[in-house]
Formats: sequence, C-alpha cells, structure tokens
Amino acid sequence: MAMLKTILGNLLRPSRTRAPADMPDVPPAYRGALAHEAARCTACGTCAYVCAPKAISFTQDPGLSVSWRFFIGQCSFCGLCAQNCPTQAIRLEAGVPAGMNSAAGDGFRLESVIPLRACTRCGAAHVPLPASTMDALWGSDEAERGYCPECRRWAAGARLRVAFVPAAGEEVRHER
Amino acid sequence: MPYSFPLGPYHPALEEPFKVKVQCRGEVIDSATVEVGFSFRGIELLAQKRNWVEVITLIERVCGICSNTHAMTFCMAAETIAGIEVPRRAAHIRTIIAELERLHSHLLWAGVGAEDIGFHSLFMEVFTLRELVMDTLEAISGNRVNYGMNCIGGVHRDIPDPKQHLPALDRLATGLAEIVIPTFTGNPTALARTRGVGRLSREQAVEWAVVGPVARASGLDIDVRKDQPYLSYAGLGFASVMRPEGDVLARVVVRALEMVESIRLIREALLSLPAGPLRATEGLPEIPVGEASIRTEAPRGEAFYYVASEGGPTPSRVKIRTPSFVNIPAIEAMVVGQPLADLSIIQASVDPCISCTDR
Repeated sequence: MAMLKTILGNLLRPSRTRAPADMPDVPPAYRGALAHEAARCTACGTCAYVCAPKAISFTQDPGLSVSWRFFIGQCSFCGLCAQNCPTQAIRLEAGVPAGMNSAAGDGFRLESVIPLRACTRCGAAHVPLPASTMDALWGSDEAERGYCPECRRWAAGARLRVAFVPAAGEEVRHER
Repeated sequence: MPYSFPLGPYHPALEEPFKVKVQCRGEVIDSATVEVGFSFRGIELLAQKRNWVEVITLIERVCGICSNTHAMTFCMAAETIAGIEVPRRAAHIRTIIAELERLHSHLLWAGVGAEDIGFHSLFMEVFTLRELVMDTLEAISGNRVNYGMNCIGGVHRDIPDPKQHLPALDRLATGLAEIVIPTFTGNPTALARTRGVGRLSREQAVEWAVVGPVARASGLDIDVRKDQPYLSYAGLGFASVMRPEGDVLARVVVRALEMVESIRLIREALLSLPAGPLRATEGLPEIPVGEASIRTEAPRGEAFYYVASEGGPTPSRVKIRTPSFVNIPAIEAMVVGQPLADLSIIQASVDPCISCTDR
C-alpha cells in the first residue's frame, strides 16, 4: 500500500531531472573563463610563469605590440594567474563558459593586444605601466611617464646623483 | 576444481583500472592478487620540472576526490621548509575545506558501495546528499572539483559569510541521521551484504599496515588528526571513531560516524572563524634549501609527503605516499574464503583510489 502511495505521489510531481536550458545558478565565487584588461597589463609574464597547463602565452609583434593569449581548452581554472598578477589585469569571470568539444580544437580563445609606446626620451618601444601605477609613482604631469624602463632607471639614477653631487648633474649624458 | 579468474582491469567495481586475479574453488575465493599501475602518470617526476606555484596545480591532480588534501599537504611541506607560519584564519579555512572534502569523499563512497550491493535507490539518496556538499564547496571555492584553495603561505579564497553555509550542513546532518545511517545499519538487504563480509582482523590490519577508516574499522585507533594534530584540529576538539569488528559493515559505520564528526568540525570551525589575513607571504614563494615530511589525514587515511628543495625555482623531490597505496593490497587478505559475488563490495569497502595509487 505504502509503495502505491509513493508511486502515485511521484506521478503527480514534476520531474526531478533538469532540462538542459534550466541550468542551476552558479555561485558568485564561480571560476569561469579569464578576462584580461590590456591597459593594466605590463606583459611581465607572471601569469604565464604560474600557469601549469600553459593556457596563457605571449606573442610579440616587434616594435608594435605584445599579445596576451588565452585558450580555455588548456585552462584548469586554478585562478593562480589572477591571484599572482601584480597589476590585477586578469580576473576570472563569474559566467559559465560555453561548451567545447576537445582540448585540442575549439573553445574560447582570447587575444588581448597591448600596444607598445615609444619612449619620449630615447624613442624605444616599450610596454607602458598602468595609468594608476604611474599616477601613484609620479603624479599626472611628470615627464617620466613617457619613459621606457631603461630611461626611468637612468632618471632615477640621475636624481640620486644630483642629490649627492649637485654639480655632476649637467655632465652626465645617457646614450642608447 | 580450482580455477583462476581475472577481474578487471576495467571496471572491476569502480570506474578505475585495477586488476584482481582471483583463485576460486567453486564459488569461494582461495586467494587473490591485486595489480595496479594501469594509469601511471609520472606526477612525482613532473613535479621536479615545474616551479613551486605550478606544482600546486599539478599535485592537486593526484586525486580527483581528495584533491585538496594533496595540494594542502604539499603546501604544508613547503611552508615547513621555508619556516612560514600560516595565519589562523587560513588554517581554519583549510580545515573546513578538508572536512567538506572528507564528507564528499565518504558520501561518494557510500553511494558507490550501495550501488555495488545492488541498492540503487540508496545510491540516489546518497548522491542527492553529496550534491549539498558539492554546492557548498563550489560556493566557497568556485570549483566543484580541484578547488584551487591552497597557496604556499595560506589560502586563496576567503569565506566572507560563514553562517550562510550552516543550513546546508543541517540538511546534510538530517539526511545522514534519517536515511543513510539507518538504512546501512538497519535494512536487512544492506546488512545481509555487509555484516561479517570481508573481515580483516586487528592483527591482519597491523600486518598489512592499513590506514584510515579501514584501520579504524579493524580496531586500530590511528588518525593523524588526533595523533599529530595539524591545522586547527587541536583547537576544535577532535574525536576519532573506532570499531572492532573489521568487516564491511564496520567500515561503513566508521565512515558514517566520521561524517557526523566532520559536520560537527565544520560547523564549529565556521562559527569560530578567526579574523586576520589569508596569506602569510606576498608574491611568488621562495623556498630555501631544506626538506620536510608531512603527514595528514586524507579521507582514505594517512597521506605522506616528502618534499626536498635545493633552493631553486622547482622542488628537487616530491615523494607522495597515498593511503590507497597501502589499503589496496589488504584486499588480498580480506577476500580469502569469501564468495566470489562479494568481491566487488569487499574491494569497494577499502575505498580504493587508483588515481592516487598510480599517481
């Protein structure tokens, strides 16, 4: 008798299996595909260094740009890239990535182009620092904002030198 | 007339490859030989070729069920070498994840065990309960498996609102107390297939050096959480579960009561989560020259890690001994004199993890 009651009860209830379109909500902390913000990226390579399955790589267009590349088929969603990025240029999206057929072929790919900029002092192409970092370091109207890392180093050295030997400031010339 | 019978390597009881060569006399097993090594991946060697951050992701893939235990133990070893002390909040979060993982592992095992004795409706009930644990893990870490919570020096993710996870634990506790435990210990079908089956005496347990729930079901009261408390276990007051019978039923009961204890530990840890930082260090880890060996209690028993560093960007040696590596050979002792039909539940009762064993 009890069994019949259970069967009748189950017949009247809706199915417990969900339809493909009726996906459960993912939690806010969900680790989805990566998103990359080129304006914050300094192409330091930390993300590629910590990525065990090598889902992140960099390619170069010499003198013009550096590209940050991501392939979801190799990603293990460990989040180490986002965790270790010194400028917070990478984050894990909360959305569920679309399905993919194989790790070798199709799936979400991302290329984020970081344009190089010519140094305002020596003209060398370089990846600029994120605007917020430059603001924190030098303020908004400092000449060093446009410098390449080499010239920044020179400028810092020159400041130090002038602080110790005020007369030496005019003599030293930096050649590249 | 005696005959030999190869069971496996594919799907001998679980969806993982290992082989049992059985010598039978009629329906009764005379002896058995276990063979493993069908899914060897060479993780220990790979670990020597990856840097300290990548190795955590790699080590997490040693096992799909107890992934956190492996990553956590490796991080603890690296922290010991570098002399880093993990913040208390991070230790609590690690404890919570480790215990949630034990719940999920034991529930998965209970489901597979129910399936092996042909009790399909119990399997469905158990897996519905397991879904609660999986959802909690996903809500905390963002992943359903391979949680990626550990880093050298602490944890990656916080539990911002610990109380949010309590209702799921309550529902789980109710489900365990009302469905899983009464069915396994009271249902005549379940009892007929588990009581007195696959006995491993205390002496045999010592001789075969079994660990974890298998040892505790044979009357050996060993548990790293109690014997050598790590993380927050000393502060949370841990009570281990022990049964003297040594049969499949005892292993079921030990795991079931351990789940109850895990729920208590998680609840206590969630309610007493201390404030503070999540990581003791900033940036990429630098591990000095040194070596460390660490034991932790994985869901299946004691996991042992030996990690050596030569101060470079990669570990110079990572030795992993997983609990299933010692528990699986004990199947040979358990099946002697048992009916052939009970072989699959006896194998399943040690909760063999071939992924861990083969590494």
